Formats: sequence, structure tokens, C-alpha cells
Amino acid sequence: MNRRGALTVLAFLAIGILVGTFATNYLHNSPAATASTASPDTNNGSPVVDINLTTVAQIGSGDHPNWVSYLPTTYFKVPPNSTLRITIDQQDGASGLRNPYYALVRGTVGDSMTVNGKELKSIDPATAAHSFAVPDLGVNVPLLAVDASAPAGSSNKIVFSFKVPASGIFHWQCFVPCGAGTLYGLGGPMQTLGYMDGQIEVG
Amino acid sequence: MSAKRRLIVTLGAAWLAVAVVGIVIIAVLPFPPDHASDTATSISNTLRLITWLAWPIFAAVVTGIVASVMIGRRDPNAPHAAHHLARGNPRLAGMWVGAVGLTVLALAIFGTLTLSNEEAAEALGLGGRAVGNSVGGAGDESNLEVQVIAQQWQFVYRYPGFGGFESAHLVLPVNAKVTFHVTSLDVTHSFWFPAIGVKADAVPNNDNTFGTQVTKLGTYRIVCSELCGLWHGAMSDNNAQIVSPSDFTAWVAQQQAADAPVMQYLPPYSHTYVPNPAAYGS
Repeated sequence: MNRRGALTVLAFLAIGILVGTFATNYLHNSPAATASTASPDTNNGSPVVDINLTTVAQIGSGDHPNWVSYLPTTYFKVPPNSTLRITIDQQDGASGLRNPYYALVRGTVGDSMTVNGKELKSIDPATAAHSFAVPDLGVNVPLLAVDASAPAGSSNKIVFSFKVPASGIFHWQCFVPCGAGTLYGLGGPMQTLGYMDGQIEVG
Repeated sequence: MSAKRRLIVTLGAAWLAVAVVGIVIIAVLPFPPDHASDTATSISNTLRLITWLAWPIFAAVVTGIVASVMIGRRDPNAPHAAHHLARGNPRLAGMWVGAVGLTVLALAIFGTLTLSNEEAAEALGLGGRAVGNSVGGAGDESNLEVQVIAQQWQFVYRYPGFGGFESAHLVLPVNAKVTFHVTSLDVTHSFWFPAIGVKADAVPNNDNTFGTQVTKLGTYRIVCSELCGLWHGAMSDNNAQIVSPSDFTAWVAQQQAADAPVMQYLPPYSHTYVPNPAAYGS
């Protein structure tokens, strides 16, 4: 093979490696999963694990500091058949549910949640800031917004639990169109991994 | 028998064998969609019949091409041989065009007749099955109206004949004549229930209707077939069910009880819902 032919082959190889690396990185570019924290509690024999989240109106860092988001991550790794006890420090104001159907707490232990210690089974859909829904597990939890008249720095502490099966990856999402500054609130953080959606990896 | 005649007989026999084997295979192959509704069954039967008709013709065309190559090939020892097969044959061409024309015309009439029994007849004002636009009376399970409300990224089903509750799973009583009213609250989705042969776009501010009679008990999958955003791939209902009328009645009672706390917030039943953009993303 002459020198020119060898260079051509090398160039093709280099381009192939670059494209392959880019594609691999792109496909694996999801937020790092956070493992849940084991707790001493059980739910009918199912070990309870804790996940603590915060919802903020502006994430304040990263590529999109003005975007609404769940923190610290939206990707969870949890043990098989465990019961996830999710505690959310909900700091955002109301956007409202597009379909009031999601105002009802569904699929959680007791079909309820506690908001600042008070048990609730539904909320007024207009007062929803966000929601935590896992469609494939039938889980839906509307997150009560911080009242507009509440002092600055107020938040709602929302706690609910639900059981996951033995294995699988389940997507979860917010059903409130909360992407401020985008058409109908549907863009930006609603359409980007790691802000208002994520996944639960069991196993 | 001349060599050419023998070749024609051989190719003719080969065509017949391929055609017959194909027709038998087509008879036993499962044709989509599944037979879970009368619409799906008639679509499937139409597809099978058309494939039956098309198969021998396809086999004949391929046989003709093979025959042309074998018979009409230029003899390498006679470079200036007369290409008599390439000459025009108006009678043969006329017969060919006539046969193809009649076949296509017959298929068009057949397809139109099939469609005339379906929702197209309603859309075109040709009568057809009476699927109706109105709720089939309160609690009427035999003539059921179901609204499909799509949003990113889940289908929710509303049952106006039963107090207007909503459910994230579609449940239908077997043998019911169902009219689907499909709409969306955000972007364009597409409600695809393959087993009953229903695929209808869900468009905001638009009421897309489709009627069918569900006929087969079972658990089915419904998916969104219009790229609708980040989690389009997760937008499916893996637990859609066609159940017995008594199971349906029990399910309705269960849903009505479960949904009671949010019934006060659901908007009055309407064929479309206009979200208030000002309220979102604030």
C-alpha cells in the first residue's frame, strides 16, 4: 500500500473513532444515578429506602441555571422489591395541572401523601407546583405549591412511599407544564433529561 | 415438443406451483391487525384477500421476467439474430392492460365497500355503521363513548356515559360498540390500539372520532405512534383490557369511587379542552 492509501485508511479510522466516541458519549449522557439510603423500616416485609429530593424554581447552576428542576438528581438506583420513601422539599410556586385527573394521589402506600405532616389524598389541581408520577407503576403524586403569600424561603415537606417490583427501569416525570419561558411550559426542563423527569433503576 | 415450448411448460408449471404454495401460506399466515374488533377483522380479511389476488400476479410477473431472460437472450453465436420477442404485440398488450385494469377496479370497489362499513362512511356521510356522536345514554355499555385525552406522556381515558370519570387504563366491555373521541392537551400524539385496528391522531383542539365493535377478551397494548417529545417511547398503556360486561360494571364502580375526590375539579365533558397557556410555565 502506498503512503497516500495508508493515510486515507488512517484518516477514515480516525473519523470513525471520533464519530463512535461521540455517539457512545451522547447515548450514555444521562445524569449519574444516586443510590437510595437504606432505612431500618419495612413495609409489609419490603425494605424501606429513603430518597430525599428538592424542587426548585431555578436550579442555579449548570448549563441552564434558570430552569426549574428536581435536585440533586433524577436518576435513582434502588434495591429489588423495596419500598421507596420519597421526601420532597417542595420550594416552588403553583403552575397548575393541565389535566385535573393528576390531582389525586395514586399508587402510593395508603393512596396518600403527607404535606407538612398532614395526610392528603388529593389537592386542588390549580395549586400543583409539580408532580411525581411513575406511569408504569401507577404512581401519581401532585406536589402542593408554596402559597404565593407565604414568606420567602417557605417550602412544603411532602412524603410518600411506593413499592417497586423485582427488576426494571421505570421512567418518572412531572405532569405540570412547568418549563417557564417555553411554549405552554412544555419545553426546556420538561424535554431534557435530568430536570423534571428521570428514571428509577431497580436491581 | 420444441425446446421453447418445453421451457414455457416448465415455467408455467413452476408459476402454478409457486402460486398455489403462496396461496396456501397466505391462508394460514396471521394477518395484522389482531381480530379484537369487527373493524380489525375486516381490515385483516381485506389485506389477506388482496395479498391472495396479488400473489399469483406477482409470481407471473417474476416468471415472465425469468422467461424473457431465458428465451429472449441473444445467442452469442448469432450476434445479429432477430429479436422477434421485442416486437410489439398490440393484442397481448391490450389483454395485459385490460386484465390489470379490471383487477385494480375490482380491488377499488372491494376496498370502498369495506371502508363503507367503517368510520369512513360516517366521515363521508355515507351512512355505514351507526356509531353516533352522542353519549350512548348514561351507563349504556353496548354503545359506549370513550374519550382519549393525550398529554405528554400518557393517555387518559374519559367515560362520559358513566359520570365522566377518567382512567389511565382503557377498559372496554366485550361486544360493545365503541366510539372513540381522540384529542390532546398539548402536542400532537397518535392513539394506536393495534389489536382493534384503531389509529387516530390526537390533536389539540380537535376531536378525532372512530367507531368499532370490540369482540375479543384480552389484555392489550396501546402506544403513541407520533413522535411527541422526550418520553414518547414510554407513552404506552400496557394494560388495556377488553373484559366481560359484568367485570366492566365492577371496574366502573371501582373507578367512580376512586376518582370521587377529583370529580369536582374535572372540567365538564367536552370533545376538546382548551388549556390556558397563561397559567402554565409561570
